[in-house]
Amino acid sequence: MDNILLKISDLHAEVAGKEILKGVSLTIGKGEVHAVMGPNGAGKSTLSAVLTGKPGYKVTSGEIEFMGRNLLEMSAEERAWAGIFLSFQYPIEIPGVSITNFMKAAVNACRKARGEKELTPSEFLRLMKEKMAFVKMKGEFAKREVNVGFSGGEKKRNEIFQMAMLEPVMAILDETDSGLDVDALKIVSDGVNALRSPDRSAIIITHYKKLLEYVVPDMVHILKDGRIVLTGGRELIDRIETGGFEGIE
Amino acid sequence: MKHLYLIGRDEIPSDIVLTSQEEHQLILLALPGVSADVPVNIRLAGEGAVIDVFGLYLNFGKERVSFRVNLRHESGHCRSRQLFKGIVGAEAQVEFDGLIYVAKGAQKTSAFQENHSILLSDRALVQTRPQLEIYADDVECSHGATIGKLSEDELFYMRSRGIPEKEARALQMRSFISAVVERIEDEQIRQMIYDKLSQCQA
Amino acid sequence: MAAEEKDILKEFTGQEYKEGFVTQVEQDYIPKGLNEQIIRMISEKKGEPQWLLDFRLDAFGKWQKMRQPDWAHLHLPQIDYQDIIYYAAPKKNSQRPTEIDPALEETFEKLGIPVKERKALAGVVAVDAVFDSVSVATTFRETLSKQGIIFCSFSEAVKDHPDLVRKYLSSVVPSGDNYFAALNSAVFSDGSFCYIPKGVHCPMDLSSYFRINASGTGQFERTLIVAEEGATLSYMEGCTAPMRDENQLHAAVVEIVVGKDADVKYSTVQNWYPGDANGRGGILNLVTKRGICKGEGAHLSWTQVETGSAVTWKYPSTILKGDYSSSEFYSVAVTNNYQQADTGTKMIHLGKGTKSRIVSKGISAGKSENSYRGLVRINPGAEGARNYSQCDSLLIGSQCGAHTFPVIRSSCPDAIVEHEATTSKISEDQLFYCTQRGIAQEEAVGLIVNGYAREVLSRLPMEFAVEAQKLLSVSLEGSVG
Repeated sequence: MDNILLKISDLHAEVAGKEILKGVSLTIGKGEVHAVMGPNGAGKSTLSAVLTGKPGYKVTSGEIEFMGRNLLEMSAEERAWAGIFLSFQYPIEIPGVSITNFMKAAVNACRKARGEKELTPSEFLRLMKEKMAFVKMKGEFAKREVNVGFSGGEKKRNEIFQMAMLEPVMAILDETDSGLDVDALKIVSDGVNALRSPDRSAIIITHYKKLLEYVVPDMVHILKDGRIVLTGGRELIDRIETGGFEGIE
Repeated sequence: MKHLYLIGRDEIPSDIVLTSQEEHQLILLALPGVSADVPVNIRLAGEGAVIDVFGLYLNFGKERVSFRVNLRHESGHCRSRQLFKGIVGAEAQVEFDGLIYVAKGAQKTSAFQENHSILLSDRALVQTRPQLEIYADDVECSHGATIGKLSEDELFYMRSRGIPEKEARALQMRSFISAVVERIEDEQIRQMIYDKLSQCQA
Repeated sequence: MAAEEKDILKEFTGQEYKEGFVTQVEQDYIPKGLNEQIIRMISEKKGEPQWLLDFRLDAFGKWQKMRQPDWAHLHLPQIDYQDIIYYAAPKKNSQRPTEIDPALEETFEKLGIPVKERKALAGVVAVDAVFDSVSVATTFRETLSKQGIIFCSFSEAVKDHPDLVRKYLSSVVPSGDNYFAALNSAVFSDGSFCYIPKGVHCPMDLSSYFRINASGTGQFERTLIVAEEGATLSYMEGCTAPMRDENQLHAAVVEIVVGKDADVKYSTVQNWYPGDANGRGGILNLVTKRGICKGEGAHLSWTQVETGSAVTWKYPSTILKGDYSSSEFYSVAVTNNYQQADTGTKMIHLGKGTKSRIVSKGISAGKSENSYRGLVRINPGAEGARNYSQCDSLLIGSQCGAHTFPVIRSSCPDAIVEHEATTSKISEDQLFYCTQRGIAQEEAVGLIVNGYAREVLSRLPMEFAVEAQKLLSVSLEGSVG
């Protein structure tokens, strides 16, 4: 069982008194990429919110174990320190805060929590440059205010950039492919693929197959009405593409 | 409920209380020749109440007009919107004093207030005091106020299309007050406003 | 870490006001109380000329006829003006009267204020350091005087440049302007004086640092700045005080005269002791600051970061008299726990083509009250005048208040005045975005607030900006979670 990274057991969760997740169970092993697909309103984003500890989402029953720890007892930042990263479906604008400052705060907080030394300014700068090149962002990007005035594609690239900076153990990509043109999709998928390793896992939440053509998942789950109704290999993707979510129960 | 009051003709209720889910629209008109002190106290006392207040003032003489709006959000989930616009010339003096008060616990309040004036003479005076007094945090409140003149660029644009200056200015003024005037359903009153406007020598 | 340990740690760090220490020095006090005799005593201690004593007594007469203003959105504790010591000065060593007491030097060094000149480094700042009622050191006087710049304590200016002081004193803030200005005019003890002659660009930033140390006292300093035609100056002001359970009064006056085409930038980082988490103690900061853009094309810029004081009553203002003169007011005011701030500006447009801009960011947390209060007045004749104001308030928690009280008054048909204000709470989405990246709540609040205030912070001189950013975060500790 050493190989298990994340184990979700019979998870029930509600938002504003309405039950959205109605018994989700999902196990993700180290190094695995899982896709979670499903129609609008299936509970995909609720799942990512619950995994990352977003306020306002209430878990009514069930368990989540992450690297042997009870995830539900951890605050949002503690989960980040443990290596969980969410690529937001709608990245948040933070006016007046530069990407550099934002990343400095995040990287050092994570390092500190893990008992590592804070980066020196030159180490940090080197890391920024390397990761910016990785997502094909130009120099002035570092000075820009977090997501302020970014196009949809830039926002998503910024998420991938941050993911590369923080090198998470478990990346959750929530609809990262929506609204991306082919070039941006390529950058995003290259970013995700580059992070693939025997120690790192990912959950890709989407309702299109586009991204999954570039980032090939090990397992595919179909989420419908708050439950995982079907689990299989990548062959499920084509089934959805042709038949949609209608016939799957 | 929609009410239109012509200041000087109609008696304006000075205290308005809205209970839960009640919706109200209020239009206050101060037309040329009328001096008045207009206190309006509105209490949104029940959850989910909604009020829209529109005001228009056109004063081109020696009028003294003063609006004193005290709009109190006492319950949560209420919405208020105020829009006061006016044109002030000659020796007229107009004062707008508008308070949005949000009581402690009146969460999910949204309150907006705008007051815009055009000043036509250096013997006239406009004073605006938009105030926010807020004791709840989950709110969206804003106010905006301007005192200015008709846009010279706009005027030039119209004249370059052959519209005589006087007519162009009248058009600009019509356009300035249109956001309030379009709320008025009574066609006769709308016509009266436009007639008064054309009497004004900008 | 266990939750309790975290709470203890938070309690421990949240209370930290690192400037709250007391310096042990022998002080020279006058008896407490306020009357003509006391005023004569202060004047005599300072060896003042008759005209200045007359000025003080006249102001005292006016003050006695006035009432403490109550129009601000503040609950001022009862101030017993007879229970205050109006003059306290560290005793001079009789053997070495010209040297700075090492204890004082150490105090200012600890506060990060060098009172001894260092070798000319880049970004060097000249300082006038005021300790209770007296200026203890003014650095770089010699260097500056080579260009004709006068930078010294107010007391020295009275002795060495009486004509200049007499010409400009109370020319911007008349002694009877308001209750606290009248009080200051009667009892002021020291402060800074700065004169930049025609066409001189001051080669370094000048600053005043005010330190209250003695208990039972108040600080009443006066700053007078004159920039002649074409002169430029960047001036900074900082202040701190020990932690005490009593409220201490600080009633200062700042007057700035800006000549034709001159440019003065006045920056303040106000970090007086704010009182403890239960609202005990703290400085009552009741200050009158005003400048006049006297000549054509004069420019005066105010930037303030207000994080300290139990009560702040302060409205740095500009009279735009010269045609085409301009002024700005950039402000960040943070209140936490039981702090109260009522602050803003007045922009009085008299000259043609005058321009002003107001940017105010209020941040309220805890059980504090934070108000913006402003006046923009456009007089007839101020043709082409323009003002733009933007006042935003941010609320952190449901127990605080945020208020906006502007007055806009125009009688000039050729002027344009615009005012906008918004009030909202700190965004939960932004907080979650930060915490998801591993930034802890408290730090996230600091980061977001610093971003919110960036437009103002970016106006500060470099040395001040870093300090101010830290202060914003420290001031808001304990405001969430």
